[in-house]
Amino acid sequence: MRAFYTELSKLFSLPGIWLAFLIGVLGPAAFAALDCIAEKEDILAGISTRLPEVGFLGLGFGVQGVILLGVLAVSSEYAVESSEAGHGQQIITSLTAVSSRLHVLLAKAAAVSVVTILLCILAIAAILPITHLILGEFAPAMEWTRLAGAVCYWIFTALIAFSFTVLTKNGMIPLTVLMINSSLVSFSVLLAKVTKLAYYLPDRAGIDMFMSMNDAYHTPLRGGLVMLAWTAVLLTIAAVVFRRREVGA
Amino acid sequence: MNIPAGRKFTRILGAELVKLVTLPAIWLILAGTFVAQCVVTAAYTSVALQSEPGTYTFLNTGLASMRYLQAGFMMLGITATASEYTGGQIRTTLTVLPWRGLQLSVKYLALVIIAVPAAFLMAASGVLYAGLMLRDTTVGLEPDQIAACLGGGTGYLTLTALLGAAAGAILRRTTPALVILLGYYFIVSPMAGAYLPDYLPDVAGYYMYAPPAAYPHNALSRLQGTGISILWIILFITAALVLYRKRDA
Repeated sequence: MRAFYTELSKLFSLPGIWLAFLIGVLGPAAFAALDCIAEKEDILAGISTRLPEVGFLGLGFGVQGVILLGVLAVSSEYAVESSEAGHGQQIITSLTAVSSRLHVLLAKAAAVSVVTILLCILAIAAILPITHLILGEFAPAMEWTRLAGAVCYWIFTALIAFSFTVLTKNGMIPLTVLMINSSLVSFSVLLAKVTKLAYYLPDRAGIDMFMSMNDAYHTPLRGGLVMLAWTAVLLTIAAVVFRRREVGA
Repeated sequence: MNIPAGRKFTRILGAELVKLVTLPAIWLILAGTFVAQCVVTAAYTSVALQSEPGTYTFLNTGLASMRYLQAGFMMLGITATASEYTGGQIRTTLTVLPWRGLQLSVKYLALVIIAVPAAFLMAASGVLYAGLMLRDTTVGLEPDQIAACLGGGTGYLTLTALLGAAAGAILRRTTPALVILLGYYFIVSPMAGAYLPDYLPDVAGYYMYAPPAAYPHNALSRLQGTGISILWIILFITAALVLYRKRDA
């Protein structure tokens, strides 16, 4: 438990966390607002085909914030201090203080998940009044099951970013790959046009938890289970690699 | 020490080139970008093969991967400048080369020397592969059009690397620079594209390599796109140089 509090305080003292909060809370709100304004005319004309998605679109993109969170939580441990400060790395201190590798990793993953839930709740709290304000009576019904799906999507994405960064020890590649993949020009959406297997990639499966896109492939529950499986496998690999690699470091 | 200006220039260029070439991250990024390029081009080609003949030309298909490629070149540029700030290498650099403006400009030149062949290789390999695969389904294009698109693509990727390098020098840190550039290029611009003017760096850059369209005609000509992109890069590099001279003295 103490390791968990330590990881939380480490997370909140990262300078980058403010960028994550900005993207994770204001981003979804801004996208929801833009999308509501764009959709309003279609709705009034009665030709809108994606009314139930309007608010959720923001949640699909706000996940960028927690990708940054998951990556930073790990990559900050491996950042090398300047030569004047002896080339130190925070991970050495962390592993000296809490010698069980598994404890460090679990506490960190738990801290990332808790902050992610907090961010997602803040984002939802920002989106709800915005959609109601702009769309009035047309505002989409925010069902609890779909909101829970969005929260799960955020947590799994953050944990995938987290495990991926444990493997690479550097934030650049996971950040680039995951950010592009959760954008409009995602790799998995492109691959899904080539092979049905791509529907089982984590982000493509996970999005079915809360967005009923016109090319939805999974039921929300199955999409969630596929993404959960990916997250569990990646976390396990990360834990095994972390235990074996960081023995002396 | 009194060194003739020409000798000084070649020595700095040599030093900057050696620094870039010996960064393992540079080779990792280039190799990773090339692998991603192959996968994406193969995916686009297979989509083009499945669709109605004549929907896609091989030039369209071969250049479709440019969207993803630009991320690799952003990383290349950011690494080139921001890596100086990890571990305090910047202090050694500035002690040895006290001519700040000259040093940073020569670093950009060294980056261009590496980026141009890499960009050409990637753009040309995509077009070549698509050309071979789609030989039977599409009509041939004029060789000078292909050359113009390839030239524009190479130029665009090189300019993107320079933009990344300017952002890296301004922000002095990898992660925020990467998040801001990727966030703009992959999230904000595709989402809000309709509301944004045509002369922003990514859209203007697109017209540098845009394949000739039958309809709706391109908003900017190739030369206009190139000119506007170069103006943007000059603006960012000037800002980087000014800040570098003032701040890191």
